[in-house]
Amino acid sequence: MDKAYILDNGILELYVLGELSESDQQQVDTAISQYPELQSHLDAIEESFEKMAFENAIDIPVNIKSELLNTISNTTTKTVSIAPQKSLRSYLNIAASITVLLLIGSVYMYSQLNSTKKRLEVVEQENAKLNSNIENLNNYLSETNKWYVAINDPDVQKYVLTGNAMMPEATVISYVNNIDKSVVINTKYLPKLDDDHDYQMWADVEGEMINMGVIDKSKDMLAMNYIDNAESLNITIEPAGGNDHPTVSQLITNVYLQ
Amino acid sequence: MSNDKALILKLQSKDETALGLIYDKYSAALYGVIIRMCRDEDAAKNLLQDTFMTIWEKSDKYDPNKGRFYTWAYRIARNKTLNFLRKTDQLIQVEDLSVYKDRTEEETDKLDYLKLKGTIKRLDAHHQRAIELVYFNGLTHREAHKEMDVPLGTFKSYIKQALRQLQQSYFKLIIFLMVLIDVMR
Repeated sequence: MDKAYILDNGILELYVLGELSESDQQQVDTAISQYPELQSHLDAIEESFEKMAFENAIDIPVNIKSELLNTISNTTTKTVSIAPQKSLRSYLNIAASITVLLLIGSVYMYSQLNSTKKRLEVVEQENAKLNSNIENLNNYLSETNKWYVAINDPDVQKYVLTGNAMMPEATVISYVNNIDKSVVINTKYLPKLDDDHDYQMWADVEGEMINMGVIDKSKDMLAMNYIDNAESLNITIEPAGGNDHPTVSQLITNVYLQ
Repeated sequence: MSNDKALILKLQSKDETALGLIYDKYSAALYGVIIRMCRDEDAAKNLLQDTFMTIWEKSDKYDPNKGRFYTWAYRIARNKTLNFLRKTDQLIQVEDLSVYKDRTEEETDKLDYLKLKGTIKRLDAHHQRAIELVYFNGLTHREAHKEMDVPLGTFKSYIKQALRQLQQSYFKLIIFLMVLIDVMR
């Protein structure tokens, strides 16, 4: 469609009124974009029609507007109603995140608790060890003190029993207190015997050997039975557990008391 | 009217407030067209609401480069009204066409407020009638020239002349207003 044809045949008027077919309308569209003159013609027609329509406007009841806006908001509320779901979902996301954090936190706390428990066990064990060490030390100290007091008494007489030809390396130091009636010996330098034999100590009273006790080799210092009127102290090797009578052939050392 | 651009952009982005403002501006003009076409208040109200629903739903189809917003809205209103009349026409024609015509004329007398006013009244009677037929009664050029009993070419020139006169009177009105404003200052 060319410009002259459009103008001569009142095509623009038909265009404005919407009377043209789809294809004609498209052709006019193209022509208008090509010729500014057609555009200004069209503007004038549209303006006239519009002004005339406004001059002949008729007021309508207000309720149509509210009805219209209601209908539209009702159709849009359907889409809007997704929004709360979104926010609900985000709340759920937040809740889930918090739950995950709490879960991670509690797993961490649990592992911390476990390692703390283990450490506590170790500490308790060490503490028990230390306590038993202290107890041992205390026992040792009290025992040592006891022996120290026992052998440092001014009433104590010290006798050293040295080994005879049978056992020259043996030495036993004995502390005799005739006032307290006690005998303490130091067996530290007495050689160890096999399991079938024990050392046994005897007191000689008027030619008779009286048992003072089997020497316990697990202790360095030990108290023996005090025998009244002993003239000498003697140590023999006897079968394990001791003997009723001393085996004189097995005498390893003796000392005469003053 | 070009300051409508922002408003129409808002409408196209589905702003309900924009639709309200568009309604305030154009509804009376469109209603004036619709009711003159169908001459039935209840139908006209429904058709107007229908028109604005379409304006709302199809607003993205409006291209400001291809003409005024009002022209676009007018075409929607006109098509809806013509579709409505076509359906009712068929029903009525089955009954009796003469009864329908009598009734329409009767009602036209009652509907005095539908008589055209404004600048169009200054046009010659045949020009007024031509414009009324195509613009306010929704007839096509082909229907209208038969109605007026003149050849199609003559009818087309009626429309052209009428539009030119309308334009001139609007122009005169603008000049008059400008002079009036100048004098008042």
